[in-house]
Amino acid sequence: MSGRETVLASIRRGLGRGPLGDAARRALDERQGATDSAPLLPKLPKGPLQQVFRAGLEKVSGTMSEVAKLDEVPGAVAGYLAGHGLGPEAAVAPSLESLDWSGAGIQASFGPTRGGDYAGVSLAWRGVAENGSLVLLSGPENPTSLNFLPDHHIVVLHGKDLVAHLEPVWGALRERGEKGWPRTVNVITGPSRTADIELTIQLGAHGPRSLHVLLVD
Amino acid sequence: MESLSHAFKERSVHALKDETLQVALNRAKDGFAVKRAKAVEGLPEFDALRDRAVAIKNHTLENLDHYLERYADAVERNGGKVHWASSAEDARRIVVEICRAAGAKMITKGKSMVGEEVGVNGALEGAGFEVVETDLGEYIIQLAHEPPSHIIVPAVHKTRGQIADLFHENHQKYGLTRKLSEVPEMVNEARQVLRSKYLEADVGITGANFLIAESGTSVIVTNEGNGDLTCSLPRVHIVTAGIEKVVPTAEDATTLLRLLARSATGQDLTTYTTFSTGPKRADDTDGPEEYHVVLVDSGRSTMLADQFREMLRCIRCGACMNHCPVYGAIGGHAYGWVYPGPMGSVLTPLSVGLKEAGNLPNACTLNGHCAEVCPVRIPLPDLLRTLRHREYQLKLGLKPLRWGLAAWVWFTSHPRIYRLGTRVQARMLATLAGRKGRFTRMPLAGGWFKGGRDLPAPQGETFMAVWTRRRKERGQ
Repeated sequence: MSGRETVLASIRRGLGRGPLGDAARRALDERQGATDSAPLLPKLPKGPLQQVFRAGLEKVSGTMSEVAKLDEVPGAVAGYLAGHGLGPEAAVAPSLESLDWSGAGIQASFGPTRGGDYAGVSLAWRGVAENGSLVLLSGPENPTSLNFLPDHHIVVLHGKDLVAHLEPVWGALRERGEKGWPRTVNVITGPSRTADIELTIQLGAHGPRSLHVLLVD
Repeated sequence: MESLSHAFKERSVHALKDETLQVALNRAKDGFAVKRAKAVEGLPEFDALRDRAVAIKNHTLENLDHYLERYADAVERNGGKVHWASSAEDARRIVVEICRAAGAKMITKGKSMVGEEVGVNGALEGAGFEVVETDLGEYIIQLAHEPPSHIIVPAVHKTRGQIADLFHENHQKYGLTRKLSEVPEMVNEARQVLRSKYLEADVGITGANFLIAESGTSVIVTNEGNGDLTCSLPRVHIVTAGIEKVVPTAEDATTLLRLLARSATGQDLTTYTTFSTGPKRADDTDGPEEYHVVLVDSGRSTMLADQFREMLRCIRCGACMNHCPVYGAIGGHAYGWVYPGPMGSVLTPLSVGLKEAGNLPNACTLNGHCAEVCPVRIPLPDLLRTLRHREYQLKLGLKPLRWGLAAWVWFTSHPRIYRLGTRVQARMLATLAGRKGRFTRMPLAGGWFKGGRDLPAPQGETFMAVWTRRRKERGQ
């Protein structure tokens, strides 16, 4: 018997039944999840989504600034780097390659990073107001390494991509059809942290020491 | 991992006398409980979400074979490979084989409790691989050659001074010359050293907090970003997961995520929640080329058969140990196996046997805190009581204790004799105690009176006698 059959047989023994019939399995497949009811979505504080998102992000030590148009992103990144005493270099996601980076005085490299970059710039697929989280999808346009290796992670988020809860994000992923789930979906809520030494919270454990959101709206 | 649970009593005594450990435990004691309470207060839907979580887990466990098959098919559809391990031994062998086939030298690991349970590190090191834990807490205990003492903060038993010593001993080869004293510089030291390991590693091994059947996705939560680097940078990503980790959909996982961080650390959501589905796609510029999932049974399917199925709802948040007075007094190592505290006292006897770990279910005051805070409402005290019952039936307890209990049962089931006996005893003890009304010494019970403790004496009448007298006086 294969490993699969051995484990499944043992589970069925534990459950005290044989394999489920086709009809039972179809019924399970047709469910929208483990419970029959729609997910229970926590009520969010009153106010516009952007305000709730910002409050969530700031609660976990993230920061945020706003720009009116996507074209203004390189200038805002240049301002962030200068404000943090960093050189004008950044590893930028190819999804943002068409912007005028050199015009803003930034030497940008496009593609994944191996850890030599102080700043990484990515594009979020969605923002989630509930906890101030960002959802990033991996792909050639948005390499995952940019989310974790640079000391400063700057994430561009379009106002129209802001949703209240995580659940609609999963619905939207299903609607991508054939493409479905990418290799990696990162839900990021604040900069990296640890409390492993005497339960003292310290930012910048292995991932970015700071997380900045540029909201385009 | 090999069990030391048989030596629970000796290890507890040792822990209580270990001053450094007591300093570390006292520091941790109320931190988690206060943070959790605050986080729960901030989410009015918390209790309703707990009911949902119970329903999600119960439904999935009832149909576990179906959802695991759906999950495995989805993983393979996305180009990943699923390996089924009946036993801990199977799991070790499979992981070693994957690493060999990958031609690996260096392996980084994100925190995985099932990895600790089956002893992945030992097997890999035995096979000649270099294994580096990347979670800061796990890294610290790896340097100390110790098992974790808590399931979410593995090095909670270590003080800053001990960690400084460990880095001083082990990091000289990386150029560390002085002894560090502040937390930020220690975190930074580990960050620098581990950064090079991530980039060098051939294989990254992580656990899974959830497996999503619909999409064939494994989910990990980390605050440090270590698990996420571990599954993104190396050529090969291996996930080790217990079979009970599967849930039908991402929405189901999201309901559980809302409970997990709040129950564990008092955060609303852990910093990084990373969803991995298969290896990197054809046009991806980073990510692993191979994606393997090792599904571990190792006794879990047997637990489906009786009331211990409830234990399989456990999402490994650690709230039960954070609220347990016994854990708070002795720490995690005294328990002697991978899982400490209330959840460990249920799991350990089921995994390594009651003969080995029969003391653990007895080390419980049955105060019920663990069940109150459990996000998936596992009736931990009931399960512990069942294990005590089993231990008694198997005649495993100490003989004097069994005789004592047997005598007690006989007396309580013969009320006339019981009442007579207690009446005589109460009067005798009251007379012996004299006017003081308390004892300061007693034959064979010297231990009780150590340090000036006394024992109040009965006042001469039993409760039943007083009750009957008063009823008569009132003419009832």
